Amino acid sequence: MYYKFSGFTQKLTGSAPAAAYSPQGLRPGVPAEAPAMIFASPTKLASEAGTVVEYMGANRVPDLQRIFQVSDGLPIHLKRGYPDRLLYRTTMALTVGGALYCLVALYIACQPRNK
Amino acid sequence: MAHQAHAYHMVDPSPWPLTGAVGALLLTSGLAVWFHFHSTILLSLGLILLLLTMYQWWRDIIREGTFQGHHTPPVQKGLRFGMILFITSEVFFFLGFFWAFYHSSLAPTPELGGCWPPTGITTLDPFEVPLLNTAVLLASGVTVTWAHHSIMEGEREQAIHSLTLTILLGFYFTFLQAMEYYEAPFTIADGVYGSTFFVATGFHGLHVIIGSTFLAVCLLRQVQYHFTSGHHFGFEAAAWYWHFVDVVWLFLYISIYWWGS
Repeated sequence: MYYKFSGFTQKLTGSAPAAAYSPQGLRPGVPAEAPAMIFASPTKLASEAGTVVEYMGANRVPDLQRIFQVSDGLPIHLKRGYPDRLLYRTTMALTVGGALYCLVALYIACQPRNK
Repeated sequence: MAHQAHAYHMVDPSPWPLTGAVGALLLTSGLAVWFHFHSTILLSLGLILLLLTMYQWWRDIIREGTFQGHHTPPVQKGLRFGMILFITSEVFFFLGFFWAFYHSSLAPTPELGGCWPPTGITTLDPFEVPLLNTAVLLASGVTVTWAHHSIMEGEREQAIHSLTLTILLGFYFTFLQAMEYYEAPFTIADGVYGSTFFVATGFHGLHVIIGSTFLAVCLLRQVQYHFTSGHHFGFEAAAWYWHFVDVVWLFLYISIYWWGS
């Protein structure tokens, strides 16, 4: 009986002698570094420089990554500073105000209607 | 950044679950207040709060994943499970409405004339606009797959084109369906036929709008270089959702439009 290691079931399975004599070797390990990220294929034609819409704005992701990885202790929803704070405070104001208004409205709704 | 000995994501404390919960409270109470007291303030407030919550919560997820690198393989696996479970719950949601349709249509009561479609109902011709709608959604399924392959192969321009096409087809479907709703010879109040037709197709239409919005956000992110050829789960989730919407339409078309006419 000859055996080979089945990559599918991760177990030893029976095999023909020919397959058993060709060692499969170790599974390649997970690469230590992430593979290079490809954002876009290189421009193929010089004439494509005219298509402004698709290439509108350069890749700002590395800059944003730098901004958001600053160690300033700010939580993610406030990391950008003023615009985040403004939106957060507006949302929170509507939340608290709305909850109170809702409780008042429900209290009023609970009152019996006088005929 | 905190140093952790595991690949999982310990999120920063966030106010959005609270604001979302209060938004849901305002929506539901607002609905009741609208029905009984004819005031839409609470309802509108709830809607605004929910929209603000969704915008900021998902904005934060994009920041955590794309800009801070927190979406490691185990984290992404969790996100995949989450999306699959969510879509499954939506399947069950639609299953209920299909159950209602088949309950009423397989054994039509004497009040309906003992037949389906019920007496007096002029159904829509399944081979006119509904068939066009089917073609539109099937085509959008093709274009979204094209977009996926373009992203995986690093073809930026093609990805943007095919994703835009998908969204336009989604809008076209919504427009055609809106026209159908306007021109339909029956309303939601026309017995159980009207109820099952408009509730099932209406919720489907809402999901088409949600799916189109999701894809539009993906288009914006693709233009802004957020997706890489190996990591673009946001897009994959949108594509899964879109295929789900397409499949629901196929069931709707076969059951309600075709068999039910």
